[in-house]
Amino acid sequence: MPTDRTRNLPTLDWNFIGTALVIAAIGCLLVYSATYFNDPGLNTFKKQLLWIGIGIALMALFISVDYHVLFDIAPILYGIGVVLLVYLLVWGKVTANVKSWIHIGGFQFQPAEFMKVFTALMLAKFFDSNDRAYLNFRSFCYAMGIIGLPVGLIIVQPDFGTAATFFPLVAVAMFFGGIRPRIWAAMILIGLIALPAGWVFFLKPYQKERIMIFLNPERDPLGSGYQVTQAKIAIGSGGIHGKGFKQGTQAALGYLPARHTDFIFAVLGEEWGFIGVVIVLSLYLYLITQALTFAKHARDRGGTFLCICLISFIIFHVFINVAMQIGVLPTTGIPLPLISYGGSSTMMFMIAIGLIANVDMRRFVNA
Amino acid sequence: MRVYRDDQKFLQFRINAVLWGIAAVFVFLAGSFWFVQGVQADKYRGLSEANALRENVIPAKRGLIMDRNGKILADNQPTYSLTVDRVVLKSLIKGDANHRPKLITFLSGVQGVPPQEIEARFEKGKDIPMARPLPVGEDLAMDQVASIQAQAVSFPELNVNPVQRRNYGYGTMAAHVMGFLGEVNDKDLAQHPDLKQGDLIGKRGVELMYDNYLRGRDGAEYWEYDSHGRRLSEYVPARKEAVAGDNVYLTLDFEMQRRAEQYFIENEFVGAAVALDPRNGEVLTMVSSPTFNPNVYSKRFTPQVWKTIISNPFKIELNRCIQGLYSPGSVFKAVMAMAGLSDDAITPTTTFDCAGTAVFFGRRFRCWRRAGHGSVSVANALKVSCDIFFYNVGARLGVDKIAEYAHNLTFGEISKIDLDGEKAGLLPSTTWAEQKQHRKWYPSETISVAIGQGPLIVTPLQVANMMAAIANGGKVYQPHVVRKIEHINPDGTKSLKAVQPQVLHEVRLSPAALQTVRLGLWKVVNEEGGTGGNARITGLDICGKTGTVQVIAQHGWISTANMPFSARDHAWFASFGPRDNPELVVVVFVEHAGTHGGIDSAPLAKLMYEAHFRRDIQNTRLDLSNPDTLEAIKEGKTPVPGQAPKAPAVPVDSNLGH
Repeated sequence: MPTDRTRNLPTLDWNFIGTALVIAAIGCLLVYSATYFNDPGLNTFKKQLLWIGIGIALMALFISVDYHVLFDIAPILYGIGVVLLVYLLVWGKVTANVKSWIHIGGFQFQPAEFMKVFTALMLAKFFDSNDRAYLNFRSFCYAMGIIGLPVGLIIVQPDFGTAATFFPLVAVAMFFGGIRPRIWAAMILIGLIALPAGWVFFLKPYQKERIMIFLNPERDPLGSGYQVTQAKIAIGSGGIHGKGFKQGTQAALGYLPARHTDFIFAVLGEEWGFIGVVIVLSLYLYLITQALTFAKHARDRGGTFLCICLISFIIFHVFINVAMQIGVLPTTGIPLPLISYGGSSTMMFMIAIGLIANVDMRRFVNA
Repeated sequence: MRVYRDDQKFLQFRINAVLWGIAAVFVFLAGSFWFVQGVQADKYRGLSEANALRENVIPAKRGLIMDRNGKILADNQPTYSLTVDRVVLKSLIKGDANHRPKLITFLSGVQGVPPQEIEARFEKGKDIPMARPLPVGEDLAMDQVASIQAQAVSFPELNVNPVQRRNYGYGTMAAHVMGFLGEVNDKDLAQHPDLKQGDLIGKRGVELMYDNYLRGRDGAEYWEYDSHGRRLSEYVPARKEAVAGDNVYLTLDFEMQRRAEQYFIENEFVGAAVALDPRNGEVLTMVSSPTFNPNVYSKRFTPQVWKTIISNPFKIELNRCIQGLYSPGSVFKAVMAMAGLSDDAITPTTTFDCAGTAVFFGRRFRCWRRAGHGSVSVANALKVSCDIFFYNVGARLGVDKIAEYAHNLTFGEISKIDLDGEKAGLLPSTTWAEQKQHRKWYPSETISVAIGQGPLIVTPLQVANMMAAIANGGKVYQPHVVRKIEHINPDGTKSLKAVQPQVLHEVRLSPAALQTVRLGLWKVVNEEGGTGGNARITGLDICGKTGTVQVIAQHGWISTANMPFSARDHAWFASFGPRDNPELVVVVFVEHAGTHGGIDSAPLAKLMYEAHFRRDIQNTRLDLSNPDTLEAIKEGKTPVPGQAPKAPAVPVDSNLGH
């Protein structure tokens, strides 16, 4: 095995890894900037450094183990994830109205975040062995079942936001797995029926409220509307050049809510200006382009789908989070990959980056 | 036929399509940011440099609490609170290092509180975001407002805000039913995400139980400030109007409640009184004495006030109607009569001979009347409250049969009234002795239970529910203190939600048993020699039962009126009227009265019936023409009004409110 590792190492794409680490480093600066004034001990900042440290270690682990080995143990990992989610439902403690955290010592983590990686592995493994032009009904149901089980368990927590972040996998399965036009039509029909039903039966009043506020921001200037207004003021006042590191006032004066988590991009906009926004967006675009190129060049269908599944999470998170900062999309609790403060999500994205690099590193069949 | 695709081509094409799509999305996002940061930058920079919008809460008006006829018991009074704008303060301190001590001295002087207290308020507000105002004073008088505004130039960081303070116009009136407000704690904040630190929320009584209706929703206005902290103009699109809370109509009858409370205050009694409508469970009166002034709770407590409240030996916050647990004493004989007749242990004509004492299970038990009552039937035994008769009934029934009937008549479990903290009491049985006491039940204990003593404890409300069931023929209603809730729609119209009467269960009581017990209870009040003559109202057939509860074990026939307060007997009077088609149940309980229920409790019941049936009678003194009362006075059992050793005065400092 050591020889295997040293043989593969030269083909590791350091640009890709480096880009991810640069994004994480920018994230640390922003977390610092968003919290130093009311957290003099810098606990949040130090914790984020710790998360990234652990994340890098996990990334190294997920680069070094051949992803085919991971495909072999994917059912076990997926099973562990399901067991943890069930454990949460039965014995989980309710924190902020949902049962999504497991507490170990002073730390807590969200099994749902890790489940994203395991589900992606499971789905990629499935497509590795399925090479029909179009998914037939049975294999389509199988793929949806892989995604549906964790999503169902997360919806009952009830953490609707996290459950929604599994949506990119559905899109991947349908778009890249291949679906006949008439099934597309059927899906759209079902969706049109399910949408109002979901509105009536599944959405909590606060979720309905958020959607209504998105459609009409003046409906609730105190709540979500207020958040977006303040985020826009922060971003807009940054102008082209930004106010400079630690010079932002929107966050420091307490106007900007969730400033080190969901709305951290607004801190970037305020302090680093349009230039900073473009730089960070470019870094993300580079990361995504690279990952999709890896997908094209992968050795096998499994590798291709693994890359696509994992990067689809990052695309989804970046797009939703950035778009909500300026009110293009409604406010949701979706973090910005590698930048927002948070242990479970930082580690999850580090693992995802590692796995994508893993596929690329082992692209040569007889290397 | 299986269709295999050109895998490479298929995937590559789709990946490329996705890539272009993502590039387009990123260009769109960058364009949106350019619009905000490039084109509109000046507008947002203006808002931001002005420290942007600052939020001012528009407090919602809390709903009114009214009596059943719409008389307002709790409303809101305009008053002023004082807040500090810390963004302005910060810039002022930068310019003048002495500004902060000056401010503290000024605030302490205006409000007449020590500087440490002001510092403590600053400390407490540390968790509030800088942009939100920090409260440093409340309930300011007009002269305080004037002197603050006179110094507005020196202290531009101070803001005087009109606020609404909860006001209970009749002070202590119905305090235990209405409850009081208090500042939210961490638990409240976790439960109600719309609340903020410093908000008030119902903590007891109707204010707590109907808080969701009463509270309403705060509004907000947003103001633009300049870089010197001066308020410019309101950002109107963001304004959100406050929504007033719903009004709550209680079932209480103001006049009856007032008379009952007056009675306790005038006589300096500790105790409780409940009046129910046996036809629907509405509570018309609920008094617990001594009481407290809920106005005191709507303000910040000073340590002295807190000390006064918690050091009061009579537990003023206790609602004795639902939380006070007492032996029912002879009032329980109504249950015994009902059980004996319904279970065929006795018939309406069964008689027992009372010679003043009798032996059961090897122990000698006394009747309250040393001379005995002679041969008595059940109706007359109720009338004269003969103990020996009911000892016999108890011995025939056994404790478990008694417990079964008593449970059906609402004892031993909560009545599910819409008030907090209700107690269930204790209904002993052989199972209870085994499971909870890990011992055998002694048959002789049954004899004590038969006259409402022993481990049996009940709340005054349970006694009222029992009387209501006898009055209405066996229906047990869920008692409630709220009659209807009035919601005011945005267009100004009102919609009412009435509380519907709920029958919790129905007890099967034989018509013959009901008739006999009602006759006995009627005799208590209306026949010469009955123990409840003090409640008699000519033309209104009131049925009732008196009760006297020994608090300490007594050896011999002695009076406790001159004993220390805590050793004196309790006095009960439980009743309903009129005998046919009852409309009202009244239960009066006087703690440590030292007399029996006919003397201290029945007169109040009479007052309450008069209030309900609108008879204009003012007399509250004892009826000395009643031979029973005269006999009692001769025996030293009753005090001459005005000379009695009484409980200490109602202990809430009346200067603190109304």
